[in-house]
Amino acid sequence: MEVVSYPHLPAELSRAYIALYTSVTNAGALRKRIINAASMQGREGEDEREAVNYAFVDPRLITSPLHVKTAVLQAVMAQAQGALRTKTVHSEVLWALNPSNNISEAIRRYGVSEACTALLVVRVDGSALEPADVERKMGAAVQGQLVPLTQLGRLTDWVAVKKCHKLNNELALKVCGQDGERERAVIDNIVVSSVAMKSVMG
Amino acid sequence: MTAAPDILAEAILISQGAEAAIYQAILHQSPSSEATPVFLKYRFNKQYRHPTLDASLTRSRIAGEARAVLKCLRNGVHVPGIRLVDASQGILGFEWIEGKSIRMLLGGGAEGEEETEYTADLLEDEDAVDSPEDELQSLYGLTPDVLMAMIGTEIGKMHLADVIHGDLTTSNMMLRRMFSTASSSTVELVLVDFGLAYTSTLVEDKAVDLYVLERAFASTHPDSEPLFATVLQAYGKTMGKEWANINRRLDDVRLRGRKRSMVG
Repeated sequence: MEVVSYPHLPAELSRAYIALYTSVTNAGALRKRIINAASMQGREGEDEREAVNYAFVDPRLITSPLHVKTAVLQAVMAQAQGALRTKTVHSEVLWALNPSNNISEAIRRYGVSEACTALLVVRVDGSALEPADVERKMGAAVQGQLVPLTQLGRLTDWVAVKKCHKLNNELALKVCGQDGERERAVIDNIVVSSVAMKSVMG
Repeated sequence: MTAAPDILAEAILISQGAEAAIYQAILHQSPSSEATPVFLKYRFNKQYRHPTLDASLTRSRIAGEARAVLKCLRNGVHVPGIRLVDASQGILGFEWIEGKSIRMLLGGGAEGEEETEYTADLLEDEDAVDSPEDELQSLYGLTPDVLMAMIGTEIGKMHLADVIHGDLTTSNMMLRRMFSTASSSTVELVLVDFGLAYTSTLVEDKAVDLYVLERAFASTHPDSEPLFATVLQAYGKTMGKEWANINRRLDDVRLRGRKRSMVG
């Protein structure tokens, strides 16, 4: 798990915990749980919502740790300025990742789905939690194996990323030819840049 | 004066101009991964403008710059990637480019150096260091001719994407070394500062863009002026059949200057 801090932001947003899980077995159940939690009443509902109060991201469309960190940073900045376009900072992460402005499409594409066997879990929280504590709580929600964030590159579905960002006919990729490593670096740079400038895309 | 945004509190000020100040900062502070710096461009509040106008101008310029850069990225022009956009505070963050500006490498000196008065001591020190041209050769293994061709090619790629830079000077180009594998490295010419950039398909706009660079060359590097022909040659090669029209228009522009109409 990686802890990223933003000392320039208000205390309650000053920290993000990002963890990557592989061999995830309960993706479908997790998705149902999130949907149910939203409509539960009373004390029980609050507890359940807290238990799944994370951004669950499908790592197949994520190109690098910087990609997800950029989305998290744009989301916490939007929250700090009261400019969220979605309901929570966690759903804002998913929104920031998606190239279009459609919120439900963002959640469908980048959120957890039945087919997920790996998950990227993000929690924005300022209170100085112990990383081990956050890890334990994340582990309670996700059944899988915690791996370092640097493993992200292995899980990327580059064909899907290219399709999602409409990169197939771009000149930048054509000049790379057969050089796969170079092509991936170029894609990563374009994708990270698109996420960073999403707020002024229009 | 409104206080500077908090994100700049820990940033290092690199330079300050009339429109914006530039900083080096760390965006994602994390104990477990290596921190890479970013380049922040802060368009501060202009006290001489009405606050409402100021906010909307800053916002639209940031949006314009970010869009031009993304368009370049998608078309394979070497430009720094975008890392952060905060239009409401006027901050734009870019990938950090490690390298030197072409202006320095061609011996144009640092910007604003003209005003500095040199003492005799300083001049002696200057002799001790390599001349800029040697540096070009020893650091990057490039001859001035090859460098000029790189400039022409890069501008050509940008114009093919219909992006007009608006402020082409040798200060707005940098050289960086890319390490593809551990042993081999390639040198890349990177275009920076798209603050005045816009999109246009007009031959006129492309010709004026080149003309601005030609004039900048003539004034900052008087002895390198003949080299500009190499820039145009490489540019023409990249542009293909569009080049004939642009070249013809460039001749017109040279006669009349940057502004088409002389009114006002």
